[in-house]
Parts: sequence; C-alpha cells; structure tokens
Amino acid sequence: MAQTYPQVAGELTVSFKPKRKRRWGGVVPCLFIFPWIFGFLVFTLGPLLFSLIISFFDWPIVGKVRFIGLGNYVDMFTDDPLFWKSLGVTLKFAALFVPLNIIVALGLAMLLNQKTRGSAIFRTAFYLPSVISGVALAMIWSWVYSGDYGIFNYFLSLLGVQGPDWLNDIHWSLVAMVVASLWGQGSMMLVFLAGLKGIPKDLYESASIDGAGMLRQFVSVTIPMLSPTILFNLITSIIAAFQQLTLALLLTGGGPMKATYFYAMYMYENAFKFFKMGYSAANAWFMFLIVLSLTFLVFKSSEAWVFYEGEMKRKPHKKSKPDGRRRSA
Amino acid sequence: MKKKISLFVLATTLTITMLTACGGNNEIANGGKTQPAGGNESAETKTLRFATWDTGDALKIQQDIAMKFEASHPGTKVQVEAYADGFDQKLAAGFGATNPPDVMYMWDFPTYHQSLEPLDSYASEDKDLNKEDFYAGLFNYGTIDGKLYGIPAGFTTRVMYYNKKMFDDANIPYPQDGWLWSDFLDISEKLTDKTKKQYGFGVRAENDTYDLQGFVWSNGGSYISDDGKTINGYMNSKETAEAIQMFGDMVKNGSAVLTGGKGQQSGEDIFKGGKIAMWESGIWPLESFKQAGIDIGTVEMPAFPGKPVKGVVAESALSIAKDSKQKDLAWEFIKYYVSNEAIKMRVADLPVRISVVNELKKDQDPLYKPYYTMLERSDNTPAFLMNTKWNEVNRQLSAAVEAVVHGSDALDALNQAVKDSERYLK
Repeated sequence: MAQTYPQVAGELTVSFKPKRKRRWGGVVPCLFIFPWIFGFLVFTLGPLLFSLIISFFDWPIVGKVRFIGLGNYVDMFTDDPLFWKSLGVTLKFAALFVPLNIIVALGLAMLLNQKTRGSAIFRTAFYLPSVISGVALAMIWSWVYSGDYGIFNYFLSLLGVQGPDWLNDIHWSLVAMVVASLWGQGSMMLVFLAGLKGIPKDLYESASIDGAGMLRQFVSVTIPMLSPTILFNLITSIIAAFQQLTLALLLTGGGPMKATYFYAMYMYENAFKFFKMGYSAANAWFMFLIVLSLTFLVFKSSEAWVFYEGEMKRKPHKKSKPDGRRRSA
Repeated sequence: MKKKISLFVLATTLTITMLTACGGNNEIANGGKTQPAGGNESAETKTLRFATWDTGDALKIQQDIAMKFEASHPGTKVQVEAYADGFDQKLAAGFGATNPPDVMYMWDFPTYHQSLEPLDSYASEDKDLNKEDFYAGLFNYGTIDGKLYGIPAGFTTRVMYYNKKMFDDANIPYPQDGWLWSDFLDISEKLTDKTKKQYGFGVRAENDTYDLQGFVWSNGGSYISDDGKTINGYMNSKETAEAIQMFGDMVKNGSAVLTGGKGQQSGEDIFKGGKIAMWESGIWPLESFKQAGIDIGTVEMPAFPGKPVKGVVAESALSIAKDSKQKDLAWEFIKYYVSNEAIKMRVADLPVRISVVNELKKDQDPLYKPYYTMLERSDNTPAFLMNTKWNEVNRQLSAAVEAVVHGSDALDALNQAVKDSERYLK
C-alpha cells in the first residue's frame, strides 16, 4: 500500500496538464452531442416524466384537469374488466410469441451460418421483412389471412383443409397475430447470427474429436456459448411482446370480441379514443412496471443458465462433461 | 489547435442554425394565426380554418362550397382541413392546445360543447338564416342544456335498400312500407342460396350502436331511461335484447352473412356484387349503388307487430370553436354553408331545408321518399345526448353487440354490458 502511494501521486501530477487540455477538448464533443441530449431531454425524458405526473390526474383533453392521487391506479385494478382482459390477452400472446420468436430466429440464424452458396441472398431475404414498415406489413398480412381470398387458406385448401377466417375467428386470430409478428424478427436473427459467428471453431473441432454429434454439439457448445445472446434476445422479445400495437391496431383492431385486444391497444384507446390521458398514463406506467419486473426476473434467473466466457469457475465444469464422455466411449 | 477551433465554430453554428430554424418556424406558425385575428383591414387576407370528417366525393363538395364562399367574400381564404378517420383525435388535440379550427363539423355535442360557442344569439338575430325553413327536429341534436351549439348542414335517415333483380328472379314482390320484421326474415331466408354464396341480408361485424337504436326503439326498447340516469332495465330489457338478437340469429341460421370484418368485404361491396338482396344504411352508398348498375329500391324499415317504426338520424352540424378569434367571419361561413345555394351542392346527404326539398321534389322521388318518412319517425332522443358518460357505456355496449353477431345470447351479453358500465353512471 505504502509503496503504491507515491506512484499514484506521481501519476496525478503528471496527468494534470493533459487533463486541463482534455477539459477544453470536452466542449466540442459536448456540442456535438448536444442536439441528441437536447432531443432526449425535450422529446423523451420530459414527456416520460410528464406522463408520470399526469397519471395522478383525471386529465381529459377537453375539460378540466383534476388531481386524483392514486385514483387511476386503483380504478385500473378494482373497476375495469377491460384492463384484466387486455392484460390476459397480452400475457397469452407473450407466452406464445417469445419462445417461438427465439426458436425461429435461432433456427434461421443457424441455417444462415452454414457455409453454402447464396447465404448472403437468404440473409437479405430473411432480414427484408424488418425493413418494411409495420403498416405495409399489416396490409400484406390482412390479404394473406383473408378468409375467402387469402393465399394462406388457398394453400390449406390444396391440402384439403378448410381454413378459418383467420382474423375474424375468435380462436385463431391471436395465433394469426403471433405468426404475423414472427415474420418481422430479422434483427433478432442477425444478433443470433453474430453470436454464432463469435463461437470459436476450435470448440466444435474438439467436440467432434471427442465424438459429439450435431445435437450434442448444439446442446453442449452452441447453446452455452450463445446464452448471453439468448438472454439479450429474450429480454427484447418480452418487451416487444408487451408493446405489440401496430399489428393489432391495423390487422384486427383488437377484435374479434377483444380476442386480440392487447394491453398496448387498450392503453392507446384510453388515450386517443376516450381521451383519458391520465388513466392511460397510469396504464403505461403499470406496463413499465410489468416489463421491468419481468426483465429483473429474467436477469436473476440468468445467473443459473447464462454462461460468460470470462467465468473461469464454470469453464472447467462444462469441459469435464465431454471428458467424461470420452472415457466411457 | 486550429482544427479544434474550426470544429468548435462548426458545432456552434450548427446549434445556432438549429435553434434559429426552430424559432423561425414558430414565428411563421404564430404569424399565420395571429394575422387574421388582428387584421381588421380588409386588405389583409383572413384565413378561416374549417375541419371536416368527410373524404372523397363528399370532401370535394365541401371544397367547392368553400371556394364559392371565398369568391363571394374577397380577402378570405377557407382552409378546409380533412381530418377523416382521425377527426376526433385531431379535433381534441386542437382544443387541448387552444388552437382549434374556427368552424368544424360536429355531431358529438355532449363531449365538445364546453369548447364550442353557443349559437342561439347568432341564429335568432340573423334573419338571413331563416331558422323556420329547417326540419325542426334537426336542431335538437345540437342543443345541450337548452343552448344551441350546432347548425344542421346535412343529414340522413336509415332505410332498407333492396336489389330488384334478385327479388324478380325469385318471384318475390318488392317490400312495401308497413312491412313487418317477420316478412323481412321470410324474404331473407327465401333469397339465401348458400351454393351461390348469396344471402338475403348482410349483418355488419362491427356495428355502431347508434345506428341500431332505430330497431331498439321500434321494438319499444331503449338503451337508457328517459332521464338519462339508468341503463339497468333499459339496455338489457327484453325489447332491446330481442331487436339485437334478431340479427345474431340471422347470422346463425345463415339467412344473413357477416360483413365488413377485418379483411372481409364490406356489406356495400357485396350488395354491389349482387350477393346480398337487402342492405340497411343511410343515404351514403346510394350513389355508388346506382353507379354499380344495381337496380335498387328503397323502403322504410320493417315494423315489429303492433309497434310504430322508429328511425335514427345521422346529422352533420356546423359549430364554431369558443377559442376562435374570428367568430363573425365563422358565422358568415356557416350561414353560407347552410344557404339554399350550398345545400343544393351537397348531394352526398339530404337537404336540411324544407324549401330545397320542395324545390327539388326530393320527397316525391320514390327512391328518396323513404328517407323522409323515416325522418318523421325519428323523434326519439339518442342515448349519447342523454348522458355525458355515454362514451364509456357505449364501449361496453359495442362489445355486447359484437358478441351477439358472433353468436352470443343477446340478453346475457347486454346484462354483462350493464354490469360493466354501471360504475360510470354513479
């Protein structure tokens, strides 16, 4: 300790001059990021805090604003069947969408990771839906799903199946929404692809030398090495599932009979159809709490299943498994 | 060092340009607004903002009327703002920001009347308006707590359209005024041929509960008590449920097809395709039916046995915003808008002035006559005028009606709707 002391002091004195220089240099970068900071404060943080404030008010656009404390939050839980209904629909959607989304994105990424000719074309093709705006996407899907004239039911009819009127069927509309939502997961696929490319080849080489087959390699090498990426995609998927609005708004309008009445849609209608700004803000903050706690839970659980290369404690643990296998083989 | 200075200068200039650009925009926006307000000199151009929900041909008519007004009022520019489907959002945002259009289309007076200018003094003091020439009932829709907030500009009642060819092919006589719902159900069944995907009637997948009120009233029911305070025993009464159940049953037994759901064809389109024989609506699709070459007839709504037929009016009125800074000019515009000249231009709905109707002999034309007999039958007060919380109740009622056309029992669904909405009426 005593030895390092003067060293630190020396460093401080030496670094004093450049530091002053750096302080001057700091103004220019600040000016460059100022537009962004300004935009963030005025257009993001400001409205965010403002929405927290108005969530404690009865705030119609036309008429008098009234402070009601926690009234909006209390109403929401005790007195609004639509709140529970929409929350239920959203949870059902998330339960279907999140796992499927990860499986499909991972599957596509693994296909693209194969060294075949034309993989660049497929990569572009799979990513393309993410570039299309949500509105155009909804238009396309509404045609695809059309009961009488949709291409989806046409293909089913070739198999001898009479398909339902997807968007107007109480039982199938939510499934239709899940499928349509899955279509636009190109960015998640890319993240997976990057993750896959980042796995060192020697791990697979040694695994195959150890006699591990494709499945074994996937379970013991790919999944653990990819687990941080899975964690990231899991969290963004959950958030995306809870925020799903565009498709619901444009494809089904929440119907039929509220079968696709997502929480975000409920919030949107409260604000822009019934003009209950305060109530809607309270809805939004409750959704924030849900997403926050889900994210927290996923992070907590990640200690058990996410593997970082830096974790030296776990590394030998994992390695011992293939070793054991070889001995028995 | 030089580099740094130039960077610094660049960044500052960028920021300043950005800020001044914003300021400049504001100035322009404010300038446009304040100029007409302070502009008493006739040399200055005054801009009058007029918001409408109409689109397509109906919007074109309004632009034409606005242009004629401009021609007769030099120095005035009418800015027609077509809000279309976003009408309520944009209007509410305008009021919220105290920057509403001067004149606007209006129907939802209970929601907006606090932000509108009472027009009683204008209407009674200005002889040019000739208030007596209007169909008297139309003013009721724009009156809240005894104050008039809107001048009727156009309206329509709802009638039954039928495809004459389909009736001829099946050797069924055309329906006549005074027919019963039982006749209607018989005809629907006879004209249904599922092998040809042909149906007697089309039921909307998404109904506006407002439009269904005529049927409910015809059966002696209503959504809400006469004092506007109670819905239990009204919205879920036997009569109300029966009227709505009828349409659910038609879908169930196949004599009607569900139309206009997501990705489905609209009822109007199917009617134009000759695949449904009868369709219930206002005057809006009449022109397009004619253009599609369908030989159409119109007839007043059927009756429930022993009960008088009742109808409901859909009205477009004109209102002035309380925050408008040029109310006199706005009034001039409204007066022109409901003048005989302008009303004759409004072919997308029905004339509000009796003198225009007499002149054009609209009520003699068999195709138009049912709209006027239905108008005489439209003397009930719609529910939304009777309770300020109706929007909330209607949210539940709409869900119930949707459930019924999708096969639920009407009484169950309405009971649930009453249960879910009673908290709003406390």
